[in-house]
Amino acid sequence: MDLRKLFAPTRVAHAHCDIPCGIYDPHQAQLAAHSVIRMVELITALERSDESTAEHQIARYTAVKEEHAELVKREVRIIWGDYFKPEQLQEYPNLHTLVFEIMKLASTARQQINKEASQSLLGKVQEFAEIFYKTKGRETKRVATVYPTGGELVQPV
Amino acid sequence: MILAAWVAAQRRFIAFAVSGSSMEPSFCDGDFILVDVGSGLRPGDPAIFRDPRQPQRELIKRVKAISPDGWLNLAGDNPDASTDSRVFGAIEPALIVGRACVRYWPPKRAGLLRRAR
Repeated sequence: MDLRKLFAPTRVAHAHCDIPCGIYDPHQAQLAAHSVIRMVELITALERSDESTAEHQIARYTAVKEEHAELVKREVRIIWGDYFKPEQLQEYPNLHTLVFEIMKLASTARQQINKEASQSLLGKVQEFAEIFYKTKGRETKRVATVYPTGGELVQPV
Repeated sequence: MILAAWVAAQRRFIAFAVSGSSMEPSFCDGDFILVDVGSGLRPGDPAIFRDPRQPQRELIKRVKAISPDGWLNLAGDNPDASTDSRVFGAIEPALIVGRACVRYWPPKRAGLLRRAR
């Protein structure tokens, strides 16, 4: 006989969080950082034979660069603000500085056509991703992307 | 006689299954508890009450403070996984169902739940 079933109450006392999701992943932030690099490449390589076409393309690339730099900030901020706990900060004392650097680099990447800033942004986001996966008890590896930007993605092993 | 005692107990105690992790480590998902519906509450007591936003749903949280007019401030023991008075504010005493006083499942962790002093 299943004793647990026999004694099971019919009423439930909820001990929940309204949104108990636990779904966090720095993958999206990495994709967005790659997109920023790609937009810088496209803007830099743009041919200007037809002025109005070029202006239109610049406007589109810039809009996407803005959007994805902002997406990096948003994704990192959510993981930093909602996922990380004070205890983990003791283990990764540079986390706040790293997030601050990501915010600043993402702003620079938005404001300028700046290849170095967008590459550094990706590098910092990768460091952030490695810390995140380590707090989940997972080792990470860097794999080559399939994007035109080349470079790498941090993935859990 | 035994039946009468059982009926009396039914009136005073209601069994609840705990669902969720906002009261860990004191109460875990799947714990079965008895709730004393005739008991007053003091700060530190685990309370069952109706969700002020959705009264057909019953919640378990710990009493943090009681105001002079009887309103209760409640919080989860595991604040990172809890929606409580930080979100819905203090609750009126009419929403209180009772105090969790016994855990009877799982057997290994069964026993009376001590009150805060």
